[in-house]
Amino acid sequence: MIVEISHFLTILATGLFLLSGLFATFINNTEYISNLIARTYSHAFFFLIASFGLYVWLAATDNFSVLYIASHSNTNLPIFYKISSIWSAHEGSMFLWIVFLAIWGFIFNFKISQSNPLKSLTLGILSLVIVGFLLFLLLTSNPFQTILPIPPINGADINPVLQDPALVIHPPTLYLGYVGFSIPFACAIAFLIKGNSDIEWELMVQKWSIMAWIFLTIGITLGSWWAYYELGWGGYWFWDPVENVALMPWLAATAFIHSLSVSIKSKKLRVWTILLSILVFSLSLFGAFIVRSGIIDSVHSFANDPERGLYLLGFISLIIITSLILFVLRFSKIQSIERIKRFSKESFVSINNIFFGVLIFSVMLGVTYPLIYEYLFNQKISVGAPFYTAIFSPIVLLACIFLIFSVDSKWSRRLKSNLLDLPVVVSTTSSAIITLLFLYFFDINDLYMNLLIFVGFLIILRYMFEIYKLIKFRKYINPFSAIAHMALGLLLISISLNSSLSTERAMSLKIDETVKYKDLSINFQNINLSNGSNYDAIKADLLIQTTDGKSVKLSPEKRRYFTRGQITTETAIHASPIRDIYITIGDQLDDGSWVVNIQLNYLIRWIWFSAILMSFAGILLVITHKKSTFTFKKSIS
Amino acid sequence: MKLLLKLLILTVPISFLLMFFVLLTEDKSYPGADYDTYNFPKFELETLAGEKIFNSRIEGNDLLLNVWASWCITCRVEHPYLMKLKRQGIPILGLNYKDEREDAIEWLNKYGNPYEDNIYDYKGSLALDLGVTGAPETFLIINGQVVVHYQGEVNEMVWNEVFVPAIEGEGLF
Amino acid sequence: MNPTRKKRIFNILIVLLFSISGISMILYSLNTNLDYFFTPSELNEKELSSSKRIKIGGMVLSGSVKRDGSEISFVITDYENSINVIYDGIVPDLFKEDSGVVALGYLRNDIFEAEEVLAKHDENYMPPNIEINNDS
Repeated sequence: MIVEISHFLTILATGLFLLSGLFATFINNTEYISNLIARTYSHAFFFLIASFGLYVWLAATDNFSVLYIASHSNTNLPIFYKISSIWSAHEGSMFLWIVFLAIWGFIFNFKISQSNPLKSLTLGILSLVIVGFLLFLLLTSNPFQTILPIPPINGADINPVLQDPALVIHPPTLYLGYVGFSIPFACAIAFLIKGNSDIEWELMVQKWSIMAWIFLTIGITLGSWWAYYELGWGGYWFWDPVENVALMPWLAATAFIHSLSVSIKSKKLRVWTILLSILVFSLSLFGAFIVRSGIIDSVHSFANDPERGLYLLGFISLIIITSLILFVLRFSKIQSIERIKRFSKESFVSINNIFFGVLIFSVMLGVTYPLIYEYLFNQKISVGAPFYTAIFSPIVLLACIFLIFSVDSKWSRRLKSNLLDLPVVVSTTSSAIITLLFLYFFDINDLYMNLLIFVGFLIILRYMFEIYKLIKFRKYINPFSAIAHMALGLLLISISLNSSLSTERAMSLKIDETVKYKDLSINFQNINLSNGSNYDAIKADLLIQTTDGKSVKLSPEKRRYFTRGQITTETAIHASPIRDIYITIGDQLDDGSWVVNIQLNYLIRWIWFSAILMSFAGILLVITHKKSTFTFKKSIS
Repeated sequence: MKLLLKLLILTVPISFLLMFFVLLTEDKSYPGADYDTYNFPKFELETLAGEKIFNSRIEGNDLLLNVWASWCITCRVEHPYLMKLKRQGIPILGLNYKDEREDAIEWLNKYGNPYEDNIYDYKGSLALDLGVTGAPETFLIINGQVVVHYQGEVNEMVWNEVFVPAIEGEGLF
Repeated sequence: MNPTRKKRIFNILIVLLFSISGISMILYSLNTNLDYFFTPSELNEKELSSSKRIKIGGMVLSGSVKRDGSEISFVITDYENSINVIYDGIVPDLFKEDSGVVALGYLRNDIFEAEEVLAKHDENYMPPNIEINNDS
């Protein structure tokens, strides 16, 4: 019965959102109307939140008359996982997506003053987008379906893989990022509709965009970290279609926030900025579509339902095509009059936009090519990591070189520096020396890997020079840019070293046997049967000793869960700053020995650390974003 | 130049979207359905009632084999449709998968029994041989051979898209 | 032709040049990095070089799995043709005889040397509730 109330509240919310959207688009903007829109939105939001709150209550209290809850949760789960089961599959995660979308809008509604010329229109557009998704939810992916008259006593046993803290936080964080870009999108569209190029919409959305970007970055990082320790492959990025589909919005978002600061600072690249805001949001929606349509037979496919796919595709196409038509129509109005000076900061960002555009295009191609190919030639293919690395390596390197030069560049002025400037020369030679040292000591063969290290250090050193200038001469640097870009340098170095230095070996060991691998001696102490509340396990105890006497015990497991007989591998990882010792066990051989796989993953933690550091730069920016800098040049009359 | 740009901005995304439409509406094999044909694996088990049951039950026959369990929620959702198929005269053999005998029997008593017989596969060995990974799954068996293996809930749409073409092709039921 | 127009044409040509070369490089990279997927029968029919990385898929033939240290050998079949596969490493948990498998690697001297072995519903794939198909 409560589920019916929850269902009804969502329907109500849909109606009110629709009203809010219609108010904004059809009636001329008076103060009364703007207040009406704001209030209608708020009310719609409250109904939606109430509905979701009830739904969470239903999940937390094991209400198995709800089909979705019965299928994804059961009484034995800790309450944390009962609630998180809501977003473990399609209908519930769609619900969460919409709720997050509405929350962003609500905060926007709250924080932006009524006098803002774009506010009502933005809210209206947002409302209409929400309505579209709510209709999708209610008509094709209803989470409120019931099993009546006799509900089951207990729910389904959950896939053990899903009962994991990282996997619980990863989707919501990602979603917050995806839907967060609806704000700049809606603002951009509102700006286009209004047609008044004096309105500084970019400044208005800057904080929001960076916030959304932070969530996206952290979300992707969490996913990568989870994949590493859970899946047993020891990798952190697989270029899987769904990973790629989260990467594309991130690339677009990164380009977007750069373009945004140019548009704010010198009113240039406004066309790019608007286009990018449409692109980011479109790619986020596209991500939702690809994942849910089942068109790509991949990992996270929740739904294998063509009907859902078609609806989503139609809805997304509507949004994208309308925005683009609007964009094309208003193109001339937003174009900046002044030309960008060569080698000014603006020019570097615009080149950056092109680089990122190429990357996005390539990833999109890699994701869709198998589909096209199979359709045309009836031959199944897959596009693997080699393609992506072949594309990313040269472009990332090139972009970073431009980054180095851009550090010195000025806004609206031509870069006057010399190639022989001290900072450039010192950083270049130092990085070259460091790279050669790495090459020599670690025997790094791959040219690209060496170049990545070189460029990574180059970026870090170049910025350290800037920091030095800040301390010595009080020269201004943008702290956020410095931190984020140094984090990028660190990321490149970590990726390269991880790729070049990491090793792996599969070996067979008998109990009490000791084997040497690299600088470690591995002693297979014991293998035991153990069990948990819902599984049996084989647990191996291995003692790892390094040449300098330190030892650590690692216990990888293989678990067999009762109800399904599903087998999972629990990796055993020993993390240290330089490397991870990563162990999994395989099967037992005829002669009684066990197959053990050991990996030494170098600097892998640094990869995630770099990503977090980048997000941190963003967080700093958001916290220190001064409200006073945002004043309306032209107020509405 | 500007016109070209505007044209490009519109046409590139639209062609991508069109491409997806085409791909989505393409007539491809139904997800979850497998049409490999092979002989039914050898087995020797008991029914829920405790009687022995062997391949002879399957050999040379045309029937549906439905994998289910009392712990399976979606099986309950599928159940009414199976009852409907039974009423249409379609012979359905059940494969009770990794279940407790008493729970299974109680479930059938409570909700209704669409099955002619039920193979009691507690360990899941026959299911394993059939490539079953969960419940519900349904097999179409023609002349003792598996011709369709569907993973997921069978409903009207699935029945019409996946099973009916194979059935009508053979002129069965 | 006046100079501004000349400049404009020059700009357009430059952009075109870069775009076309960029796109061709990407497409070239794509085509050289494709992994083709074959069944054992298709493998039999086609002549394939041993230097091309390919994927083959089918069922693991029962009784064909042999282990020797960390190396495992087995046969992939589609019940019409078969291919011998060797792999050094730990196979995924869902790998078993009479079950679906996909191997990524190279065909050398009629033996397929696998670099990666994936089983259906592989661990690399997080099947949300593969046991309970919950599409309503």
